[in-house]
Amino acid sequence: MSKAQSNNMHVLDTAVVERRLRPIYDWLDSGNNKKALQECDKVLKKAPNLHCAKALKALTLHRMGKGSESRVILEALTNEKPTDDATLQAMTLCYREMQELEKICRLYETAVRIDPTNEELHTHLFMSYVRISDFKLQQQSAMALYKLKPKNPYYCWAVMSIILQATRGEGCRDPLKRKLLLSLAERMFDKLLTENKIDAEQEVQLYVMILDLLGKQEEVVAVLDGPLGAKLQCTNFGLVKMTYLKKMQRWKDVNLICKSILAESADRWDIWKEYIHSVFELMYQQTQTSGQENSDGGDNIVETADDTPEKAHEFICRMVESGADNGYVLRGPFLARFQLCSRMSSRGMDTNDLFGDEIELFMEYFRKFGHKPCCVSDLRIFLNLLLTPKKTELSSRLMKDVGISATSVPQSEAQMQRHICAVQLSRLCGSHRDLSPEHLKALITALTLHYQHGYQTYGRGLLSTDLAPCDPYALLAAHLLYDLAQIEQKSDAVVVALALLERLLSNSPSNFHGKLLAVRLYHCLGGGTKALEMYSSLDVKHLQLDSLGYIHCARMMTTGLFTLCTNLFDATLKFFSSNYKDSSDHLTFSYKFGSFTKLDEFMDFRERMNNSLHYATVGVDRIVLKLVECMSLDTLYSITISPKEDKIEWNCLRDNHDLGVFLSWDPESIENAPEDWQESKALFEQDVRFLRLRTSILWTMAAAVDIVKSLDGDRQRHVEALRNALDQWKALHQKTLSDNFPPIQQNLLPLPMPSRLHGSLAAPYCPVFSSFLDFFLSMMGNDSHHTMECVKCIEEELDKLTDFLRDATIKKSNDLMARRKSLELAVNCVEIISITSLICVLCGELVKPVQVKKGKKKSCDTKNKEYVFSVADKLKKEMNNFCDILQDWIDANPEDHVFNMLESLNLNSTENILEKIHYSYKIANREMQLILKTKIKLLT
Amino acid sequence: MTTLRPFTCDDMYKFNNVNLDPLTETYGLSFYMQYLAHWPEYFQVAESPSGEIMGYIMGKAEGIGDNWHGHVTALTVSPYFRRLGLAASLMNFLEEVSEKKRTYFVDLFVRVSNKVAINMYKNLGYIVYRTVLEYYSGDPDEDAYDMRKACSRDTDKKSVVPLTHPVRPEEVD
Repeated sequence: MSKAQSNNMHVLDTAVVERRLRPIYDWLDSGNNKKALQECDKVLKKAPNLHCAKALKALTLHRMGKGSESRVILEALTNEKPTDDATLQAMTLCYREMQELEKICRLYETAVRIDPTNEELHTHLFMSYVRISDFKLQQQSAMALYKLKPKNPYYCWAVMSIILQATRGEGCRDPLKRKLLLSLAERMFDKLLTENKIDAEQEVQLYVMILDLLGKQEEVVAVLDGPLGAKLQCTNFGLVKMTYLKKMQRWKDVNLICKSILAESADRWDIWKEYIHSVFELMYQQTQTSGQENSDGGDNIVETADDTPEKAHEFICRMVESGADNGYVLRGPFLARFQLCSRMSSRGMDTNDLFGDEIELFMEYFRKFGHKPCCVSDLRIFLNLLLTPKKTELSSRLMKDVGISATSVPQSEAQMQRHICAVQLSRLCGSHRDLSPEHLKALITALTLHYQHGYQTYGRGLLSTDLAPCDPYALLAAHLLYDLAQIEQKSDAVVVALALLERLLSNSPSNFHGKLLAVRLYHCLGGGTKALEMYSSLDVKHLQLDSLGYIHCARMMTTGLFTLCTNLFDATLKFFSSNYKDSSDHLTFSYKFGSFTKLDEFMDFRERMNNSLHYATVGVDRIVLKLVECMSLDTLYSITISPKEDKIEWNCLRDNHDLGVFLSWDPESIENAPEDWQESKALFEQDVRFLRLRTSILWTMAAAVDIVKSLDGDRQRHVEALRNALDQWKALHQKTLSDNFPPIQQNLLPLPMPSRLHGSLAAPYCPVFSSFLDFFLSMMGNDSHHTMECVKCIEEELDKLTDFLRDATIKKSNDLMARRKSLELAVNCVEIISITSLICVLCGELVKPVQVKKGKKKSCDTKNKEYVFSVADKLKKEMNNFCDILQDWIDANPEDHVFNMLESLNLNSTENILEKIHYSYKIANREMQLILKTKIKLLT
Repeated sequence: MTTLRPFTCDDMYKFNNVNLDPLTETYGLSFYMQYLAHWPEYFQVAESPSGEIMGYIMGKAEGIGDNWHGHVTALTVSPYFRRLGLAASLMNFLEEVSEKKRTYFVDLFVRVSNKVAINMYKNLGYIVYRTVLEYYSGDPDEDAYDMRKACSRDTDKKSVVPLTHPVRPEEVD
C-alpha cells in the first residue's frame, strides 16, 4: 500500500471504525461465524481497504473451516504491511489458531520496521518470539525495547531470555556456553545493581535465580540478608533462605531456623523433615571433628542446635507438651517422632532407648488420632518400621483396641471411624493377604453388614454432596471382593462388588471413590456402557481428560462400542490441541507479570501435556477408528492417516496418569506411590510399544493410499515408503514377540488394566496385513505367478483369522472376565478384517483403467482384476463367518451364579448388574456386525 | 500436619482426589495458569506427609484505592482431611500475604446454601458484607454472600460495614 493510501485510511474516524467493527467482534465472541462473515462483508463494502475488517474476515473464514480462502486474505494483507494494533491482533489470533506462530513474528518484524518507535509493537514482537521459544531473538527484541523505553521489566525480559539460552537453548548441551551466558546475565544484572535501579520483587527473584544457576549460594544468602532481601515481601523468605543454607551445608543454621519456625507452628511437616535431617547431618559433622563440644548454648531451647537424636527427641517432647493450636491437637510433633525413629532405624541405630517398642508409637498415635480419617495416611509411610511379624501383631492389637468383635457394632461414630482406620491399617499390614476364600467371604460379609449398619445409624441427614462416614466399609469390602475374584479367577465376586458399589452410590451419590472403583470394575468385565455411565457422573474434564484418561477413555476401544468412542476421543483430542495453542499464551503471561520463577515450570508443563502418551494413543485410535468405520473410497481419501502429522516424539512420551486417585490399602503402597511401582513402569513400556505397532497400521495404510492417489512418475517413491513401513512393522513385530512382555499383574486395583499390547500380538495383525500389502504391491509388478501366491497367502491368513476369532470367543469360558478378554480380541479381529478390506478396495482402484493406454499391460490387468475379485469374495465370505460367530457368541447367555451371594449380603437390588453388562455386550456385538456388513457392502 | 508450598503446574496432574469432590470446580487450564503467572504467591497447596494433596487455596490482589484487597478465588480441602484446621491455615496464609501487600481487606464469595463454609469463615472473623443476587448460575441460580475481613491497614474497619441492600452481580467490581 502506498503512503498516500495509508494516510487516507487514517482519515476514517477511529470512533466510526470501532463502531462498525464492534458487531463483528460480538458475533465472533458468541461463535456465530456466519453472521460475523456477513457483517465483515457489509463493512468491507463501505470501506474496502479497512485492514482490520479484512483480518477479521480471514479469522472468520478460518473458523468456518475455509482455510484456503482465509490464507489468501492474510497473505494479501501481510503484503500491505499493516501496523495498526487491531489488525495485527486479529491476524495474530488467526495465525495462532492455525498454529503458524512464525508468521506472527514476521508480521510484527515488518510493523516495527515501519513504526520503529512504537513501544506496543515492540512488545508484541517480543511476545511473538516467546511463543516460538526463540530465546536469542527474544533477547534482541527485549534489548531494542529497553533502548526505546528504558524500563526495568524490559531489561529483565532480556536477562531472562539469556538465562533460557543457557538452560534450554545452546547452553543446555554445552557447559562452557552455559557458564558464559549465565555470567553475561549476571553482569547485566550487576549493571542494574550499581545504578541502584532494582525495585520490584520479581527483579530480586530473577537475580537470585541467576546466582543460583551459577552455584553462588553464598551470594544468594548475602542478597537475602541484605537490603534487596527486604523487597522479597511475598516470597516465603525463611524457606528460600533455608534452601541455600542446605546447599551450603550450614546445618546448624538450618537446625536453628527450623526450630524457631516449629516453635511458632508445630504442624509444619516440611520443617520437621528438614529439622530432623539437619540433626543427623550435625551428628555426622560431630563425629568428623570429634571432641568439639557444642557449647554455644543458651537457656532457651530454640537457641541451641540439636546434634543428636536424643536432643531432637527432647525438643519433640517439649513440642508435644506445648500442645494444641486453635483447639486442634497437633499431629506434627507426634509424627516427628516417627520420622526421627525412622531415620535412626534406616541408619542402623538402636531406637529402643528412645522409643521403646515401635508398636507402642503406633498404638499411641492411633489412640490419639484414630478417630480421624487421616490417621491411616499419616501412619502408612512409617509402617515399614515394623517387620512382618510385628505388622501382624500391630494389626491384631489395633483391632483389639477398637473393641469390635465379630458380633458387635460400633457404639458411636468415633468408634466406627476408629474401626475403619484399624481395618485399613490392618490391610496395609498385609493381614488380608493369603486368606482362604472362606475367610475372605466372612470378612466381606462383616464389612458389608458394618456398612449397612453404619449407614442406618450414622448416615442419615447428610447432604447429597457429603461422603457418608461409613462409606469406607463398602469400599474396603469391594476391594476384598476383587481379591476374592483374583483368587477364584472368576468374575462372580466382581459382580457382587459392583452391586455393593451401586448400593453405596444410591446412598452417597457424591462418593467419587465409589464411582472410580465402579468404572474400574465395569471395565474389568468389559461392560463399557455401564462404565461410561459411571464415568459421566464423575464429570471428568479439562486436564483430567489426560490424568484420568486411562481409567475409561483408554479402555473404550477394547469394548467394541465404536460409536461411544468417537465422542470421547474427539473431546480428548480437542482438549489437547486447543490447550497446546493456549499454552504459548501462558508463557507470555509469565513475562507480562514478571513471574520468571514460573517460566521453567510452564515450559515443562507444556511439553508434558503435549507429549502425553494418552494423547498420542487417542490420536492414533481415532484414526484407526475412522478406517474401521470407513464406508467409501472418498472417505478413505479424505482421512488424514499420518498420526499427529508424523510428530510423535517417541523418546519424550510421558505417562501422565494419576494412579493415586484410587484409594488403596495394599501393603505395596507403604513404600511408594503406584506411579513408582515396577508394574507401572512395565505397563508404560508396553503401552508405548503397542502404540508403535499400531502406528505401523497407519504408516502402511497412508503409503498405500498415496500410491493409489499418485501418478506414475511419483508412484515409485510411495511404493518405497510402503515397502519400508512394512519392513519396519515386521521387524518391530518380531522384536516385540521375542521381548515377550508379560502382562502386568492384576491383583492391585490402583494399577490400570493390562496393556492392549498383548491382545494386539495375540490377534494376527501383522501377518494378515502383510499378506494384503504384499498382494497390493504385487499389483504393480508383472509377476502374475507371484500375485497368485499372494492370493493364496491371503486366503490362508483369513482362514486362520476366522479360526482365531472362533477360538477366542465361542470356544472360551463364559465367565465375564474371560468374556472381556474375548471381546477385546474380537474387536481386534474386526479391526483387522475391516481395514484390510480397504486395502482390497485400493487394489481394485489400482487395476481400474485410469486412461486407456492401448494394449499396455492389458492381459496382466485383467488377470489382476480377477485376483482382486477373488480376494474380495474371500473377505466377504469370512466377514459373513465373523457375523455368524459373533451372533452365536452373544446368544450364549452367561449363567447367573451370583444370586445366592447377593442374597446373603442383602444386596439383591433392583439393579441387575449382570443384565446391564450383557446389554453392553449386545450393543458392542451389534456395532461390530454393523461394521462388517458395511464392509461387505463396500466390497460388493 | 502439613507442608504448605507454592502450587505448581504438575500439581494439576495430582489434584483429582480434591477436585472430584462435587463442591470443587475443575476449571480450564488457562484459568489456573493465569493465577500461577500473575499471583503465584497466592496459590498454595497443602500436602500430607505421604505427599498427597490435601487441599489448596487460590487467590489474588486487586482493586484501586481503598478497594485494594485480597480475594479468595478457591479454597478446597479433600474430604479425608477435613476437621483438621487445614482451611484455617490456608486462609491464614492468604491473609498474611495480603497483609504484606498492604491490602485493606480480604473478601470471598460463597453460596448462601453452603452453611458449613459460611460458619467456618465466620469463625475466622469474616462477616457477610453483602448479598449478591443470582451470582452462581445453575438451575435455579443461587445467591452469594460476599464475605469480608478487614486487614490491619483498614484501621477504622471501614471496609466491613455491611451493606443493607443486596446487589446485582454486575454491580460487583
